[in-house]
Amino acid sequence: MLEKKSLPCLLRPAPVVYLVAMCRAVPVNDLLDRASQRSDKMHSLSTLLTQEMDSHFPPYGRMQMPRPADCHTSALQTPNDKEQALQVSESDLMSLARSLLQAWVDPLAVLSTSAITLPHPSKSSISSKIQELQEHSKSLADGLDILSGKMGPSAQAISFLPYTGGTDLGQDRVTILNKFNFLLSCLRRDSHKIDSFLKVLRCRAAKLQPELC
Amino acid sequence: MKKVGEVVLLWLLILFIHNAAGEGYSPPGKPTNISCRSPEKETFTCWWKPGSDGGLPTTYALYYRKEGSQRVFECPDYKTAGKNSCFFSKNVTFVWVNYNITVVATNSRGRAFSDPVDIDVVYIVKPNPPEEVVVNVTEDKDWPFLQVSWKPPKMADTRSGWITLFYEVRLKLENKNKWEVVSAGQRKTLQIYSLRSGGTYEVQVRCKPDHGFWSEWSPSSRVKVPEYFPQERSMWILIVVFAAFILIIFIRMVYMNFHSVKRYLLPPVPGPKIKGIDKQFLKSGKSEDIFSSLVVSDFPPTTSNYEDFLVQYLEVYVPEERELIMNEGKDLQDDSFKTENSTCDNDSGRGSCDSHTLLTDKGGGDKEDGQQSDQEGSQAEADTKSQEEALEEELLACSHENLQSSNVSNEKEKVKSWPSLFSPLPQYSFSPVNRPNPPKTGKQHCLSDSLFTPNSMPSYFTQPGPSTTKGFRSNYWECSFDHKQSHPLHPQSAAHEHLQAQNDLNTAHVDYMGAPLDVHVLNVRPSEYVEVQRVSVEDGVLLHPVSPSQEDSRTLSHQTEDYSRVRVVNNDNGLLLLQRDAIEEEKSMCPYQEDVVSRASITPTLQNSATGINIALPILDEMAASGYIDTAIMFGLPTH
Repeated sequence: MLEKKSLPCLLRPAPVVYLVAMCRAVPVNDLLDRASQRSDKMHSLSTLLTQEMDSHFPPYGRMQMPRPADCHTSALQTPNDKEQALQVSESDLMSLARSLLQAWVDPLAVLSTSAITLPHPSKSSISSKIQELQEHSKSLADGLDILSGKMGPSAQAISFLPYTGGTDLGQDRVTILNKFNFLLSCLRRDSHKIDSFLKVLRCRAAKLQPELC
Repeated sequence: MKKVGEVVLLWLLILFIHNAAGEGYSPPGKPTNISCRSPEKETFTCWWKPGSDGGLPTTYALYYRKEGSQRVFECPDYKTAGKNSCFFSKNVTFVWVNYNITVVATNSRGRAFSDPVDIDVVYIVKPNPPEEVVVNVTEDKDWPFLQVSWKPPKMADTRSGWITLFYEVRLKLENKNKWEVVSAGQRKTLQIYSLRSGGTYEVQVRCKPDHGFWSEWSPSSRVKVPEYFPQERSMWILIVVFAAFILIIFIRMVYMNFHSVKRYLLPPVPGPKIKGIDKQFLKSGKSEDIFSSLVVSDFPPTTSNYEDFLVQYLEVYVPEERELIMNEGKDLQDDSFKTENSTCDNDSGRGSCDSHTLLTDKGGGDKEDGQQSDQEGSQAEADTKSQEEALEEELLACSHENLQSSNVSNEKEKVKSWPSLFSPLPQYSFSPVNRPNPPKTGKQHCLSDSLFTPNSMPSYFTQPGPSTTKGFRSNYWECSFDHKQSHPLHPQSAAHEHLQAQNDLNTAHVDYMGAPLDVHVLNVRPSEYVEVQRVSVEDGVLLHPVSPSQEDSRTLSHQTEDYSRVRVVNNDNGLLLLQRDAIEEEKSMCPYQEDVVSRASITPTLQNSATGINIALPILDEMAASGYIDTAIMFGLPTH
């Protein structure tokens, strides 16, 4: 179980006796709550992105959901149902979340650059959303780093999931759009995984506040 | 033969059956609208819409593939979720895995494949409605509120955080149609305030996963709010009673002070002060109509008569000082007279003011001259002034005791003052005067006691012509001439009286001759005598002022010997003047009607004028009718 540990306050001077803490440590469950909120926001953004893409994407044949098995993060072993998920330890859950988060830093950058020249009518909206996603991802990664520091060394282990798609999504419009859609679908799932893991962690850490879970 | 027939029949039968069997059968239609839902992210169900069955029993089968594998599975459970459904149990449900689902319809004729759909269980979560919705009304009697609590659906595992649910509550009054929706977040309780006293509420709750679909609303929970606001009605009753009480008091105050308030808000507009004048009629602005109403049509003598009348009529001499007064009498305005006569004691009795002034001040002018000139001038229709003057002259002639000097101007002036006597005159009678036939011209006004017979028109004979009598309203004094033109018009006294009477607005009877001036003339200069110089053939009496020999007659004593008395006043229009024995000759007799004349002891000189006498009675009648003059004259005059 997670222990409540107070964050080292930067402003707290070394001699503890004389000085009062200038800042109060944020409890873990509160940190988790904030983290899960941010991951929730990230997933919402990715869902909006896919919907926006589909609204204008000319489906030829019938637009099928791209096979997420080809996602660059599919190598990461994640629970596939609830029983499995509930059996994963908090540290592992945190590690998984952090790994997934870390795996999307580069693809998000590729998406961001590609969105500017995306042959899509809503590319400006898409581009802004992707940038927002990047910001959320960055801040969540920072928060999870702090959290994982409280949870032990296993929580801080991050699996390396490189993105091998390259910076170029394609040459022709169809290829570009297909790749873009594919990446967005992978992002949507992985952001949902992150969000789910963090929310499970939140409920596990809220033993003192069972009303939230 | 039979066999051949049987074979043929058999063939036909087979053929028929074969055909029948082939018609209407077709492969099934394609299943459509595949939708799947997962209530708790652990299981899910898919439903499809079957197409046409092609007339044959059709079976449906659902096949699915999971991502990354080509292995096809068939739906494990077609029953649990009902018809045309497939239920995926926990064993076969995996999250973060794409399912590719296809439904196949099969009948004996063929099969039909539906369009495949891809689903991920985590994206199709639609939980069941919240359960155990409990609504309580708190025990607080003063301000009760609703306490709503519920439980998450059984199958949703929110405890472990696998599913995160957000809740919504809605409520409405039982007989209304509008729901009020309140968001409750992740909490499982809610308080609702501001309830309708005595109302019955329906409460429903639903939930939604963090990334999923809203559940259905839970069944309604009814609750009745107790009556917690009974004071409302009693308070309103109190307010209404209080307001009614205040309103009654206010109304009563206004009612009591209604007149003062009304006077304050709507100050009364001073109206014309002449009796008998129809304000509205005058406002109509048609002078002709006004004049006609005021003046009898035949009152102003015709031109021809008028001239004669004028010629034969009174000459009034007005002393200098009186001229001043008269000069301003150009217009018939009362103002002029008023300014002149400061001794007006009665607002309405302009004539009275003037009369008394006239009586005292005006001496007899040259009747003949003045009158003539005036009369002639007054013949001009528009010459109000002249008419006034003429009228005045006559009036003066009648009323003046001391008609010493008669000059035209004086007469005129006098005449002017006369109109003041006949304050009504300027308004009505003079207006008719403005008409072609100046009424005044023919009039001689003599006041005499006897003239004022009660209930009869004062003996006014003013008008020279019969026609003029009617038009002649104002307070014409009846001139009672004894017989002579030269006689001072005892009517002077009468006139004075009359004037006074007029001043008093019909209040006083002029005491018959001798004391006409008493009433108010006392404060006025002694009236002047007017002598009848001659009597016109037709009906005029020419008067000229005579030196007042009876100035003292202004005393209250009625009978002065100098005055002529009116013996009888005809109801219609006659004034019978009695000749004074003492002043037989001097007495002037106002012309009056023939019948009267015949009876009167009128000097022959006057007899001529008798015909022309238009007794003022009718005029007075009319005048009385018109209101201003002279009730005093009309009714109160004693006969002697």
